[in-house]
Amino acid sequence: MNERDVIVIGGGPAGMAAAIEAALAGLSVDLVEQRPTLGGAIYRQQADGGTSPVQSKMARQRFARLSTALAGISANMRFSSVFLGLDADGFVLIENRQIGRIELIRSRAIIVATGAVERILPRPGSELPGVSTAGGLQVMLKETSRAPQGRVLLAGNGPLLLAVAAQLIRLGNPPAGIVEAGDPLRAAALSNVGLLSHPALLAEAAVYLKDIYRAGTPWFRGTRLTRIEKVDGALQATLCDRHDAVRTILVDRIGLHDGIQSNRIGLPAEQTRTGSAPVVVRAGDCREALGAVAAEADGRRAGLLAVSLLSGIATDISVAERAIARQRQAQALITRSFMPVAGGSHLASLPDETLLCRCEGRTVGDLRQLLDRPDPISDREIKHNGRFAMGLCQGRFCASNVAELVALLRPDASKPTPDGLTGQRWPIRPVSIGALTRAAPEDNCED
Amino acid sequence: MYRRDTLPATNIHLMKSIRLHEISGSPPSTAIVIGSGIVGAATAYYLGKRGVAVHLLEATAPAAEASGAADGAVSVASKRPGTMMTAALRGVALYRDLARDGLLADLYKTRSTFIIAASQAECELLEKHREALLDAGVKAVALSRQALQKRFQVLSPNALMGVEVHDEGHAIGYEIVHRLVKASGAFVHRDTPVREFVEAGGRVAGVVTPKGVMTADAMVIAAGGGSANLLNLDNVLIPRKGQLLVTERAPALNRAMPGAIMSGRYLLSKGSQKGTGALPSRGLGLVIDPLRTGQFLIGGTREDFGDRQTNDIDAVRRILLAAVDLVPGLADVRLLRSFAGVRTAVIDGLPLIGRLPGRENAYVATGFEGDGICLGPLTGKTIAQMICGETPEFDLSDFDPARFMAGKVAA
Repeated sequence: MNERDVIVIGGGPAGMAAAIEAALAGLSVDLVEQRPTLGGAIYRQQADGGTSPVQSKMARQRFARLSTALAGISANMRFSSVFLGLDADGFVLIENRQIGRIELIRSRAIIVATGAVERILPRPGSELPGVSTAGGLQVMLKETSRAPQGRVLLAGNGPLLLAVAAQLIRLGNPPAGIVEAGDPLRAAALSNVGLLSHPALLAEAAVYLKDIYRAGTPWFRGTRLTRIEKVDGALQATLCDRHDAVRTILVDRIGLHDGIQSNRIGLPAEQTRTGSAPVVVRAGDCREALGAVAAEADGRRAGLLAVSLLSGIATDISVAERAIARQRQAQALITRSFMPVAGGSHLASLPDETLLCRCEGRTVGDLRQLLDRPDPISDREIKHNGRFAMGLCQGRFCASNVAELVALLRPDASKPTPDGLTGQRWPIRPVSIGALTRAAPEDNCED
Repeated sequence: MYRRDTLPATNIHLMKSIRLHEISGSPPSTAIVIGSGIVGAATAYYLGKRGVAVHLLEATAPAAEASGAADGAVSVASKRPGTMMTAALRGVALYRDLARDGLLADLYKTRSTFIIAASQAECELLEKHREALLDAGVKAVALSRQALQKRFQVLSPNALMGVEVHDEGHAIGYEIVHRLVKASGAFVHRDTPVREFVEAGGRVAGVVTPKGVMTADAMVIAAGGGSANLLNLDNVLIPRKGQLLVTERAPALNRAMPGAIMSGRYLLSKGSQKGTGALPSRGLGLVIDPLRTGQFLIGGTREDFGDRQTNDIDAVRRILLAAVDLVPGLADVRLLRSFAGVRTAVIDGLPLIGRLPGRENAYVATGFEGDGICLGPLTGKTIAQMICGETPEFDLSDFDPARFMAGKVAA
């Protein structure tokens, strides 16, 4: 069977950089991307292939540089192909959606670069139509270069809300408001001189803030969105500020976002010993969510690591590691700036009827009831009997919130992990049974 | 309960209480149940109902092994004729009672099992098996190819004949365990493996765990594969891996299935009918169960040499090929999850249930292979009756552990 050296999962900055490094070292490389184009979520391309003008100039330059380098090496590109996992016999399972079949691939090393996903805290009413994630809105903006109609409210926590607001403004529909749980201006003024050593970040923030200020978009800082209701065909958002003053705002669409976290649901564990099982290395945001610049550096690190593991020849990853460390420091500063200021935990204060798991319709009250017993139940029991992380999204939406809420509800017992709730089983995404029955090692694919 | 320094005093106290209960035939006051799979959970439940304070000792967590990775068939259909078939009949009846009483009302789904033959050899096997079912008093109706097409419209024309076994059911192992443990009032000690027994005058007075010694009037070992070490039964209890699959919800197809499907091959893989030659080391027996959520559970393998809880594409593909062969509509449904577990089997194919030879107050109940979900509640009830000095409502003599342990001293 035709075994390759490296298979890279994910065509964002980390995956692209990893593929480039491995191929430059003379290894045979396959790059698997679930969409028809490269770029990942961060450099998402327009449906017609071009780069949307909502992308910043620096982002466009970084992507162009990676694309050029990738074009200069010989990597086997597999588009519209979804990584389903690594089976017990060491087969990499890839769903080729162009031909509707599962391809079984042997590879000496697997570099997993599946990026990040948004963190979305549950709120009563967040399942209503018209409510999506702010990142989801952003991807739509990048793909279509068109703003959605109607009044848009962006709410939650973190710098992405500002980026999406600025992009909406650029496309001609300024948002009705930005609701931010932290108060970055105050935090920055008080203690964050450290940000001055990251001028690129400050420059990016300044561009966003200037656009937002000019458009007159209200930025509600130190404020939380606590409830969404349907009122007269519109969405009514209840906002609660740091002094517990409550106001409501009527909009047509709400984009929620409470931060970024690694996309690692169901991924195989890292495996850096060479033997009969393939080497598994994680790269980029799925290892540590630090943004596009760090992801690219971490992709290089992972590519070099795979080279040294497969060839036994030492490679120098110190340059990449220094770049990652610098981004880690920057992200820590940003996180501190955006630290929510409102008192009390958002999760702990949710009413019982709040939906925690959309797929199986499980609520905060269901979880409280499940935990109401003298002996602390295990992660797997929480999963099985609460049906959390058992639905179609396989825990992508609920696992981290459930893990955090469990830790809050029983502080004395061991803290569950999202991975402990979801497990590491394939398929890591639902897949057609018909396609699975047509699973075949690649070389026997021709019928 | 964990105070090592007070053990002797506690023992004296316990001895008194044991003697009292033996004289009066009344229940003991305390019991330790080792293992919280379905058998341990059911034993705890029936002991709890009799007023016994139960401590459930669990090496990891409830339903972490076979009970949490079972196909959930509460079924007579596949059982080997004889004691197992009779026991299964009683097991199914008990589930019906527990559902009627309310305890399992929302967890037990009553449905028929359709055993399907897709080859001439399977037809012959199936006819023989139907006679055995009829002899045992089971309602098993033969369906010709035409009758089958009418009764079971989503079935493929590849089905040559079928037997509808009525009044069977389905239960998800981990849900039943959770419900029984909760209703038992037992305290569950997770991550508490039992290392050895504390013996005292023909009794098991206590158990040694990493957290200390625990004592109780009665002991039940229902620890699946973990029982082998405790009881020196390494050559008697053997692991048998199974791989299973769960799909997304497909309500229309789910509703169109009047019951579960079991391929005639399942009987072969399980050795339910003898004279079919040696069993392969990796058997494939197809079951397709329409779950009450609208999902499907599809199984499964029976692997002698696999003790890893992993799934491989070769097995999954073969299971799904067989499933689509009988229910073509499944090809358009998505697979959500694969999982695997290890069943604990006994080399002679019958479970071990009964008093530990030479030990007055200790009992064993394990080795159900793939029948634990069906027989778990019945076993738990019977063991509880024995412990409490009642006449067991089911004769367990065929399962007596003495057949492997006569004269043997437990670890």
